[in-house]
Amino acid sequence: MVANKNQMNNNLRKKIVEMVYKAGEGHIPSAFSIVDIVAYLYDKVLKFDPKDPAWQGRDYFILSKGHGCAALYVALAKYGFITQHDLDNKSKFGGILGGHPDRTKIPGVEASTGSLGHGMGTALGIALGLKIKRQKNKVIALIGDGECNEGTIWESALVAANLKLGNLCCIIDNNGSAAQVLPVSNLAKKWKEFGWTTHEIDGHNEQEIRKVFNEAQFSFDSRPKAVIANTKKGKGVSFMETHGPWHYKVPSPEELRMIYKELDV
Amino acid sequence: MKAMRQEFVDTLLEVGQKDKNLVVLVGDISHFRLVPFAQACPGRYYNVGICEPTIVNMAAGLSLLGFYPVVHTIAPFIVERSYEQIKLDFGYQKLGVNIMTVGSAFDYSTLGCTHHCYVDFALLKPLPSTQIFFPASPVELNSLFKQTYNNNQISYFRLPSFSHEITIEPQQIKVGKAIRLRTGRDVTIVVTGPQLKTVFKALPDLEKIGVDVEIIYLPTIKPFDGKIVTESLKKTLRVLVIEEHSRYGGICDDVLRVAQCIPRTRYSSLSIPDDFVREYGTYDELCRLLGFTEDNIIKKVTSELLAKKLEYVRI
Repeated sequence: MVANKNQMNNNLRKKIVEMVYKAGEGHIPSAFSIVDIVAYLYDKVLKFDPKDPAWQGRDYFILSKGHGCAALYVALAKYGFITQHDLDNKSKFGGILGGHPDRTKIPGVEASTGSLGHGMGTALGIALGLKIKRQKNKVIALIGDGECNEGTIWESALVAANLKLGNLCCIIDNNGSAAQVLPVSNLAKKWKEFGWTTHEIDGHNEQEIRKVFNEAQFSFDSRPKAVIANTKKGKGVSFMETHGPWHYKVPSPEELRMIYKELDV
Repeated sequence: MKAMRQEFVDTLLEVGQKDKNLVVLVGDISHFRLVPFAQACPGRYYNVGICEPTIVNMAAGLSLLGFYPVVHTIAPFIVERSYEQIKLDFGYQKLGVNIMTVGSAFDYSTLGCTHHCYVDFALLKPLPSTQIFFPASPVELNSLFKQTYNNNQISYFRLPSFSHEITIEPQQIKVGKAIRLRTGRDVTIVVTGPQLKTVFKALPDLEKIGVDVEIIYLPTIKPFDGKIVTESLKKTLRVLVIEEHSRYGGICDDVLRVAQCIPRTRYSSLSIPDDFVREYGTYDELCRLLGFTEDNIIKKVTSELLAKKLEYVRI
């Protein structure tokens, strides 16, 4: 773990908590499990232009687990797609940010997600479209391990492999949610069996994230890539690193102080 | 007259050769018929698999990139199984798609209720940005598709197995417009789909008993052409609606909405009862079972619309 980098992402974590606290709603732990990955993607992997979100040369990031959107929102704010004012008005009347992302309102959001199992198929269609056009933009979908309960994920996995969509990468946020409901064991083996190149990393370790994306080849007519990112729900705050009450809980003022103290910002 | 399925593949080929943004995704239906399209439009035809919700999901991704996707398979597997994908991936996200189905209503008459779909109008009408077409002759299909395939709406084309075999002039076919095929003063028949043929079969006997029928034919279901129906009902004050759709949520509802604004209007309908069509047989046999016959049309006109005293009105 790179200390300085982690410190920076704790700043993003603080912004997530602050936004949810002001909004009075939000999924903090689901955002904390992906924020290190999302931050890295926007920092080092994705091409984009906040002044022209529809720029044709951009890479496509689809947050299929839409309830983790707080992590996406703080990244979009950091890179200038949206403003602090937008963050402050999350889930408020007239605001553009809701409890799940809406592409028709938010610059930089490619797909409106929230109902699980949709974004992945949309990413697959984008990857197919880019292949038809022979445009070399990357397509990265981020899904949850709980979302892997949805049948459409596995339909999409079969189709992407069959169409050899090597320009598509699917990150699976393996934060243990599925195990609370319908366990999906041995994800790497399953995705490999479905015809994907698979990688398994610690989704909070920047070196491992960097390595997998440095080595990833995005090309047409090859296997799509699955990155199993082993993560912790609520990562970064000890008493939130669990499944249960914090899933959709807004911290009290006292809890907010405790969270800030742990994040040390 | 050309078969509807043949017109479907011919129309896609015609448009696909001119417009490089037309991409066709099918769920293992019409695969061999679409080989000419696949050959003429390389890289723009995919027999994706037996995974209808994902096919609809994918079409949204293609639409995001500026393509005009066509999704094609059997009606229940798109409209009913993939309903949320249509609602969210296209309606909510303001994206366009062309959903072209076969096997609606009881067209797959021998295959049982798993392959029937009588509620497609009712399901799709309430979704914002949907347009619904029931082209029941080749010229209607060709014209309506070319008018709409790239208009960024959710365009649903319900393709029947059989044409109505009545000549419709190309200039009569406009999106959202009904067609007055016959002018009359006594009774208005509002009809959609291949049942237009049955209406024309009933005409001679209706004429013999002195009933002057006005026929309003609807190739477009949504947007509903309320203007022409209103004009007609103000004149006849009697309307029979005929559609191969559940009695709930089809054009019967739209006509009733018009009729309730015109005092003393009598209404009757010929649609699919509130039950599954559990019988097997040919399409014609199921039509007879459900009352889609000229005799039943005559009976409804005479006993429900023209009778001096009505015991009740079946709605």
